[in-house]
Amino acid sequence: MDLLISLVINGLATGMLIFLLAAGLTLIFGLMDVLNFAHGGLFVWGAYTGVLTYTYTESFIIGILVAILTGVVLGFIMEKLIITPVYGNHVQQILITLGFMLVLQEMIKVAFGPNAIPVKVPELLAGSWELGELIIIKYRIFIIVVGFLVFGIFHFILTRTKIGLIVRAGVMNKEMVQALGINIKKVFLFVFMTGAALAAIGGMLMAPYSGSIYAEMGMEFAILGFIVVVIGGMGSFSGSLLAAILVGLAGSFMAYYVPFLSLAVNMILMAVVLIFRPQGLFRTAKE
Amino acid sequence: MKTSNLVSKYNILFFIILIVLIAFPFVADSRTLTILLTQIFIFSILAMSYDILLGYTGIVSFGHAMFFGIGAYATAIMLNTFEATIPVFIGSILLGILLSALVSFFVGLLTLRLKSHFFAMLTLAISGLLLVVAEKWRTVTKGNDGFTFRAPDIFKDRIVFYFCVLACLVIVFLLLRRFVQSPLGRVLIAVRENEQRTRSLGFKTLHYKVISSVVAGVVASLAGSLYAVSLRFVNTSVMTIDITLDALLMTIIGGVGTLIGPIVGSVVIEFAQHYLSGLARDFPIFERWIIFFGIIYILAVVFFPKGIVGSIQQALTKWKMKRANNRTFALQKDKERSS
Repeated sequence: MDLLISLVINGLATGMLIFLLAAGLTLIFGLMDVLNFAHGGLFVWGAYTGVLTYTYTESFIIGILVAILTGVVLGFIMEKLIITPVYGNHVQQILITLGFMLVLQEMIKVAFGPNAIPVKVPELLAGSWELGELIIIKYRIFIIVVGFLVFGIFHFILTRTKIGLIVRAGVMNKEMVQALGINIKKVFLFVFMTGAALAAIGGMLMAPYSGSIYAEMGMEFAILGFIVVVIGGMGSFSGSLLAAILVGLAGSFMAYYVPFLSLAVNMILMAVVLIFRPQGLFRTAKE
Repeated sequence: MKTSNLVSKYNILFFIILIVLIAFPFVADSRTLTILLTQIFIFSILAMSYDILLGYTGIVSFGHAMFFGIGAYATAIMLNTFEATIPVFIGSILLGILLSALVSFFVGLLTLRLKSHFFAMLTLAISGLLLVVAEKWRTVTKGNDGFTFRAPDIFKDRIVFYFCVLACLVIVFLLLRRFVQSPLGRVLIAVRENEQRTRSLGFKTLHYKVISSVVAGVVASLAGSLYAVSLRFVNTSVMTIDITLDALLMTIIGGVGTLIGPIVGSVVIEFAQHYLSGLARDFPIFERWIIFFGIIYILAVVFFPKGIVGSIQQALTKWKMKRANNRTFALQKDKERSS
């Protein structure tokens, strides 16, 4: 039972980190019809800038804020320079965002050096609780709480506010939204920047969890993010939460019981979903 | 009349370049350059195979490295377990080709019915899966550490190997040119231009896309086999996304939708990589030469989607049209004057 609980906590924590990445991806794809292969680059930039500020100022909060700022700024630059020229052309979008991913990843190595940087857990969240035999690492609980908090906030914004209404309407039919006199381009930019900021927060939270950060982790996590987006169904916000938890749990259980399959289980999950249910597990086929 | 003229002009150009390349090892006694050129030929083959997918059929695959890796491992493992002789080498190439054909056929059949972005992600995932298999199946692949093996004795001489790879490049180029100019190749281009319309004209586009993916996989596997022999070493890096990215960069920068483009692209990138990493001693920024390529690549996608070769072709046709226009204009003027 203890084992089961700690496996579940591990899985949930990883799932939440992936969710932060996948949430931005799925909104961007659903609304703008852009598949952003550079999302992992935003993730890793958030991690680096956040961690460096955090080690410099000793304040985790400031680190997170800097990470968010980086995400927003990079998102703005990227939407204006990279995405705008290629609206409506999928092949070019895939190619150009992949190129930008390369640039972002190499820029990390130029700016911060190619070696992995060690990160320590902030003092308040370090250590663990012991409940009898069961050991719960505080930081993992923190990630899970933050993940659900982010989900709650965004779910509230999406379902209860006017801007959420516009975004949801845009995901369904953006021409119609534009015809109703809403500047959909501005909404695009806003969503893109929010998605980038979410990815950056994900990177920053990821850093103390894994203990070190390195330039290639962007691509590794981006692949997990894509897998989640595919499983959850493109454009479905709550679908990506469920899918992220599924992927996280599958990863943590497989790592314990069938270590050989642990690296492959997500790929297999995605392949099966794509072949039999291309619209995603948690999305009813409407088109 | 005019097109046949053009083709023969191109053929003469190819012939001259071929003669220069054949004469090269005898004229210039540079070991590094011979090795670099061999590398360029190998990556040209890989990039051409990628262009069959990207340039001719209009599919973005992020899993091309798996075929390269299959070829490399087939050759390495066979040369390691059996005697390192030419027949074994040829057999290993055939084995790699057979395996690649099978894998690309089944993967294609399963995935090519999906939309472009799903296909890109699924190929990324499948090649990731194969990479994991290669890393975990240590009894055969020795995992990430890789292993060295003996190449056939005749390839100990770098120049012999150079000619062998050059011959492969020429043969592959001619075969692929025949392939893309065949009626089947025309259908592939039609799929690229407008898949729905092609389907409504009665072509089963899925079949054609699978054929294209099998051809690309087979050629990539050949490139992988040659690559393994050129290094006499193989590890899991032959299956990583980096190989796919190399092929992608070469194809985009050289020119999609032409067969010369990828060759030009691999020449440009391999040379630039060679010299830029040489410069890195003085200017540390050049150690990260891939940044420059990333930026050039982004600019190429936005401003020169046709790449080097495509842009030159476009400029040439424009120039010719202009000249023809001027001539008719002058003729008209002459006529007016005489009347």
